[in-house]
Amino acid sequence: MRIRGPEPALAEVDMTPMIDIVFQLIAFFMVISNFEQTKADERVKLAKDALAQPSEVKIEHELALNIGFNRDREGNKIDPDPYVFFAGESIPIPQFGPKFDQEARLYDRTGVDPEDVTVVFRADQDVPTGMVQELMRMAQEVRVGDKPGFSKFIFKARQSTDGN
Amino acid sequence: MKIRHSNSEGEKIVPQMAPMIDVVFQLLIFFMLTLKIVEPEGDFNINMPLTAPSQDPSQDVPLYDIKVKLRANPDGSLAQLSIGGNNLGNGPAAFQRLNDEVLKLVGGGAGVPMIDDMEVEIDADYNLNFQYAISAVSACTGRLNESGDIDRYVEKIKFAQPRRPSGM
Repeated sequence: MRIRGPEPALAEVDMTPMIDIVFQLIAFFMVISNFEQTKADERVKLAKDALAQPSEVKIEHELALNIGFNRDREGNKIDPDPYVFFAGESIPIPQFGPKFDQEARLYDRTGVDPEDVTVVFRADQDVPTGMVQELMRMAQEVRVGDKPGFSKFIFKARQSTDGN
Repeated sequence: MKIRHSNSEGEKIVPQMAPMIDVVFQLLIFFMLTLKIVEPEGDFNINMPLTAPSQDPSQDVPLYDIKVKLRANPDGSLAQLSIGGNNLGNGPAAFQRLNDEVLKLVGGGAGVPMIDDMEVEIDADYNLNFQYAISAVSACTGRLNESGDIDRYVEKIKFAQPRRPSGM
């Protein structure tokens, strides 16, 4: 009797499980990637608070202001004066008034009442409170024609879960 | 000319996996590298009107006004926290005490009819670090209960006029 020897088999790697996993990973990274243009500035170290909860409703019109210090890589302040980091510029706080005027006029031209715009303060934890208040005052004092200026304000804080 | 037909019988079509895997790995690396872990941020869902200096004090005076004062050391740290003239000290425990005091004043939390009329006025020193102002706002806003929800106390919070010290 003649016994037929095994035919030379082509080694095939089963790719299916690997592709499954890789697609899972891609889907995971796609979902958690945040492509929304974030208005955060790395230089600002927000205060921590347990009660700082993300908004339940999306703010329709927001004007985000990052107020912080120029820091080096280790996070030490280079300059003791705080600045508003706005549209790529570092503007000293007392000189920010004209920017509010400009923004209010811009909103007005696009048909948005400045009163409906929420000014979001992302202020560094070490910024003097009085300076933040001065910025609020400047925002309120803006006038476009006879319309009042900005009147909605929110403060941002880092959400902390340790209860502090 | 004789055209030779290839023998298609029994031929297994093997899909080309290599290009797909190339692209899939490219995508995977792209998403891995663009991943930026952002710390969750929240905000205080309250309205904060600044007291206008020209406002007639007889107008819009809330029925129940809580005054919280924050005094600062020259370096911006908290020197003293007080509520309605009652000194609460400084440090994290002071904000806990402020939270307790506000709870006493609002009388047990939401559902109390007068809670909507209550307003907290925060009077902070000009050079006080902003983190203390946030802590004070937080202590007046409410507290986290055991289930992780917020028991809200006072939602109307305003700031007193900033008093710019001479020389700043």
